[in-house]
Amino acid sequence: MSVKTELNFTLNGRPVNIEVPVDMTVLNLLRENLDLKGTKYACGEGECGACTIEVDGTTINSCLMYAADLNGRTVMTIEGLGAGNKMHPMQQSFVDHGAVQCGFCMPGMIIQANYLVKQNPDLTREEMKRGLEGNICRCTGYTKVLDAVAAIVGAEG
Amino acid sequence: MSEQVAFQHIEKTSLIGTRIKKPDAPAKAIGKTRYINDMVLPQMLYGKILHAGRTHAEIVSIDTSEAEKLPGVHLVITAQDTPDLKLGFVKDNAPLKDKVRCERDEVAAVAAESEAIAAEALKLIKVTYKDLPPVYTIEDGLKDGAPVIQDRFPDNKSLSFKFTHGDMAAAEQKSDIILDDVFNVHYVTHCCMGTSCAIADFDHNGKLTIYSQTQYPYNYKMDLAPALGIDPGDIRVIQPPTGGSFGAKLDVYPFEPVAAILAQKTGRPVKILFDREEEFINSPTRQPARMHLRTGCTSDGILTFRAADVMMDNGAYTSWGPTVPVIMMRTVSGHYRVPVVDFKGQAVYTNNAYAGSFRGYGNVQMTYATAQHMDMLAEKLAKDHNLDPIEFRLKNAQKSGEVTPQKSFLRECALAECLTTAAEASDYVNKLNKYTAERAQEGRYKRGIGLASSIHNAGGAKIHKSDGCGTILKMDDYARVTVITGASEIGQGIDAVIAQIVAEELGVPTEHVNLVNNDSDLGPWDVGVHASRTTFIAGNGARRAAIKAKKQILAAASKQANVSADELDLRGGFVVQDKDGAVVTKLDKMLRQMHFQPEPDVVMVSDYYEPNSEPEGRDHISDHSAAYSHAVHIAEVLVDTYTGEVKVEKVTMAQDVGRVINRMGLEAQMEGGLAFGLGFALSEEMIFEEGRLKNPSFRDYKLPTAPDMPDLDIHFIESDCAEGPYGAKGIAELPTIVVAPAIANAVYNATGIRFFNPPMTPEKVARAIWEKKQV
Amino acid sequence: MSEIEKYIAPDTVSDAVKALSSGGVTILAGGTDLTPQVDAGRRSHAPTLMNIRRVDDLSGITQNKGETRIGCLTTVSEIKQSDLAPAILRQAADHFASEQIRNAATLGGNICNASPAGDMINPLLVLDASVELASWKEGAMEVRREPISRFFTGPGKTIKHDNELLIAVVFDTPGPDFVGYFRKSGPRPALEISTVSVGIGGDYKDGAFHNVRVAFGAVGPTPLRGKATEAMLEGQALTAEVIDKAARAAQDDATPIDDIRATSWYRTHLIAVFTEELLNNVCQN
Ligand SMILES: Cc1cc2nc3c(=O)[nH]c(=O)nc-3n(C[C@H](O)[C@H](O)[C@H](O)COP(=O)(O)OP(=O)(O)OC[C@H]3O[C@@H](n4cnc5c(N)ncnc54)[C@H](O)[C@@H]3O)c2cc1C
Ligand code: FES
Ligand code: FES
Repeated sequence: MSVKTELNFTLNGRPVNIEVPVDMTVLNLLRENLDLKGTKYACGEGECGACTIEVDGTTINSCLMYAADLNGRTVMTIEGLGAGNKMHPMQQSFVDHGAVQCGFCMPGMIIQANYLVKQNPDLTREEMKRGLEGNICRCTGYTKVLDAVAAIVGAEG
Repeated sequence: MSEQVAFQHIEKTSLIGTRIKKPDAPAKAIGKTRYINDMVLPQMLYGKILHAGRTHAEIVSIDTSEAEKLPGVHLVITAQDTPDLKLGFVKDNAPLKDKVRCERDEVAAVAAESEAIAAEALKLIKVTYKDLPPVYTIEDGLKDGAPVIQDRFPDNKSLSFKFTHGDMAAAEQKSDIILDDVFNVHYVTHCCMGTSCAIADFDHNGKLTIYSQTQYPYNYKMDLAPALGIDPGDIRVIQPPTGGSFGAKLDVYPFEPVAAILAQKTGRPVKILFDREEEFINSPTRQPARMHLRTGCTSDGILTFRAADVMMDNGAYTSWGPTVPVIMMRTVSGHYRVPVVDFKGQAVYTNNAYAGSFRGYGNVQMTYATAQHMDMLAEKLAKDHNLDPIEFRLKNAQKSGEVTPQKSFLRECALAECLTTAAEASDYVNKLNKYTAERAQEGRYKRGIGLASSIHNAGGAKIHKSDGCGTILKMDDYARVTVITGASEIGQGIDAVIAQIVAEELGVPTEHVNLVNNDSDLGPWDVGVHASRTTFIAGNGARRAAIKAKKQILAAASKQANVSADELDLRGGFVVQDKDGAVVTKLDKMLRQMHFQPEPDVVMVSDYYEPNSEPEGRDHISDHSAAYSHAVHIAEVLVDTYTGEVKVEKVTMAQDVGRVINRMGLEAQMEGGLAFGLGFALSEEMIFEEGRLKNPSFRDYKLPTAPDMPDLDIHFIESDCAEGPYGAKGIAELPTIVVAPAIANAVYNATGIRFFNPPMTPEKVARAIWEKKQV
Repeated sequence: MSEIEKYIAPDTVSDAVKALSSGGVTILAGGTDLTPQVDAGRRSHAPTLMNIRRVDDLSGITQNKGETRIGCLTTVSEIKQSDLAPAILRQAADHFASEQIRNAATLGGNICNASPAGDMINPLLVLDASVELASWKEGAMEVRREPISRFFTGPGKTIKHDNELLIAVVFDTPGPDFVGYFRKSGPRPALEISTVSVGIGGDYKDGAFHNVRVAFGAVGPTPLRGKATEAMLEGQALTAEVIDKAARAAQDDATPIDDIRATSWYRTHLIAVFTEELLNNVCQN
């Protein structure tokens, strides 16, 4: 096994101190070591977005990032978007608009959608499509996903 | 509070047709749902399978000794440890193989303490193969002296199907136009976002609990048992939340018995979870098909016959794939009146990948061909005989009360309405003519519009003797309802629909209906989630159970209040007078009192709903579904004639849904179903070279992404199906079936080129346009 | 998978470069190429993994005395959003992967990965950029500049030595007459590995095109300059005839192959299409 390194970082608002093998991905760290199974594996190579999380305020594919690089950083996963069982407005909007089917893509999709709106509160529907193109959903055909985001932006129609 | 409500009146309202949120959506949206992929059991081991990676070979020897020695490895098994275990539709498959017949073949398996150790152990297994001459095409498989793939089928012919009706020679005579074309439908695969997974766990009595993504938990037991050599009664199937299915899990595939065998032999729970590459290589595909289609028509635009000769590459084993003619032979002539039909279907064993069931089963393939023939006829008749393209279709469109040659009884048929609605909403005919005229003009970008239609079973499909679903419904002292249904949830939303139906009947909030449907020890029998059947069958079952419960409650209330039960109703959590909604008593109070009445009782009912369809029988010709439904899609495309890129800008969909139940879920199924058809038409393709998959990743297997989605204009046609719950029909497959040929017809309209071999990738389209320019 | 014996995350360029001098180091930037390549077994780690993302001063775009300088750690997202990045570079950034990848992917990583399909490389060829390679020599950091047109020697191969760190890309800040366009194939806006990309730029003044540079991606073993096309276009007025000739010349410049993503026929076809399209864009500018 590869050498380990000690990490100190903030995860969903709480400090984490842990030793990890330096070539462990953030996705594996979250899922296997920290029991945060909300972040999903669906391809492991950056193509699907199921593993999307926020690191220092920008979204990345956690399957491509080495956990070693988290030292000193701030991470938010789907579990940290709302507060416990209380949904964040973006999560509520996805539920209200019927955007969730099997739901497997949703943690990544919602994190990315939330990031897009934070970046640009006046997002157009075209910009939403572009911003979500790294998130594959096999169930919904995206229409209701876009409706859910549009409702948050207030840019419906 | 109870004093105040005594004066209250509650109006009758209905939930049917409203938008109901999926009950499991919040947990999924906050990342709390534990999918099977996320599950870890105490003491659990990780299984991994060694795949052959070659296509046809004898296994000369397998040496597992090095793998066994690796620390953390608990067990290594090969076919020698699993003799006589069979699986598959014709039992031509096995959990582990003693001979290699295709790339994915499972040769050995390991159980270890971690996935990494299991993967390491696989590398230490030494297999000596002796390659055999392979068969990669249907033609090669049928040659005299071709290598035999399955010993039981020495001519390599697997399933075959035949249906004839009417006098073909006479019909040909009568035809002024005969179209004769070959369509080749390619390999695509489900690409469930949650990769395949099974967790198996045996108890001390030899009873297996299998956590599975299966879509058919009850017959799954029957299919899994012979692959394990145990009694089906000793299998309990638990279905944790799953990341999509779409037909992929309608059969038992080798990894499931392999997980179970490893668990049986180690005495520990064993989990097998695929990574994405394994998922691509080891999952079923959609059945590819070469369809030779002939259609006859008179110059007045009356169809005279349809003949189809369908050849299918069976691959090395038989799952649901090569059974698709069961549907093809119906839909080959299903919705336009065709008096004479001739259908032949033959599957041929090869060393290629094998197909399973997939949303739109058989009909995606068939409609890709038939809807293009209809379009070709429409064009010819418009040009030569001045017949309007919609008029042509309406002339031939079947109507309520007609019975197809294949014995489908079209009780409520709304095809004509679908056609006119979609055509009007999209201004089809005007645009068609406009774009046809523009085609000849200079210019890089061309627009096109295309129409396609189809029929699909919409009230189950009685492929077994029963197509039923069991329901158990009980109510507690607080008027909360628990519904235990045989119906499975794979993301499609039966949870919302059942809550809605039960709430409608019992006058309680949908949130007070709790669904239990993931444990075969609890649930009553059901055929499984497939064939667009669940809302129809399980919805009917839930409704019937709820009506029984309601009767029981109203009978008790009637005694207590001294009013006839007919004059009572349940609304808003109360027992009320039906005529004016005046509150009689609170429902929860009534339920509690039922324990204390002279004949104490509890509300606990059951129902087995069997649709009024006919079993298919050996020839698969019967009125096999309790309802049939139609859909028309009109696609509008923009083609870059230089790069060959096809952008679908808009799709107008009109579908006979019987009656809208959960409007939100219905729209979601239409949108999601359409995306499957879109990928199939334009970008998705498994590329095989000598039986080996060349693009097992999302990088090179291109699923639709958000920017690919067209604008949708969805029209629900409500034909009010007498047998369906509240008039509803099954809906989930037609959206996938109809859109691809609509796109193909639109691309034709834009370019003058027909694409009989999907997908219409940019390169294929650009090449065809370029070649046309050269001549 | 190979085992990593040591992990370092230096704060300064000189520490990073010093660490490289002892050899046996894998450089980690955004990891969007490195991670999947290691996972797929297409490459393995050296004994030391050096994360350069903590090095100061390697990120950002600056302009000084007519020169634009982009630090190797600048992400594709930052380039996409920066007013200091020439339009052609922003176009390439816009058609690059997905938002999440762009947020992690660095310019240096894209260049050092040396894929013939590397999308940021193409506009850098058009801008006639140079790369700055830093190494540790006799107790001090030494930086050499190499034109990016000479940097690539094959798929995944460059003239960069193992002990060198690519620290920045520099190019002459384009003047007011400079016009440049980038185009990549694929029906999706992004999340496509280019099957072909074309970039064209130059000074378009008084109806004539000067200092023309043309670049192609994914049509040969390395990203390449279209020398014949450039020569053909130099000083020309962009008439329909010239554009058509340029499209043919472009087809001669490139030597594409067949693979599962596209046939050589299609690649060659697209080169002509895109060349024509971009030259038309230049005219209409
Ligand atoms: C899903 C997906 C889609 C993609 N789409 C595109 C696309 O559309 N277009 C495109 O061009 N690329 C694409 N890529 C590839 C990749 O994202 C880019 O090449 C990216 O720019 C690499 O940067 P990085 O920082 O992630 O590099 P890393 O992975 O960290 O490094 C890449 C290589 O460069 C070396 N390296 C990195 N920085 C330096 C340095 N400063 N000095 C010396 N060596 C260095 C590393 O050792 C490694 O060998 C895609 C990748 C994925 C996973
Ligand atoms: S799992 Fe990370 S992008 Fe697919
Ligand atoms: S909801 Fe199933 S993959 Fe998106």
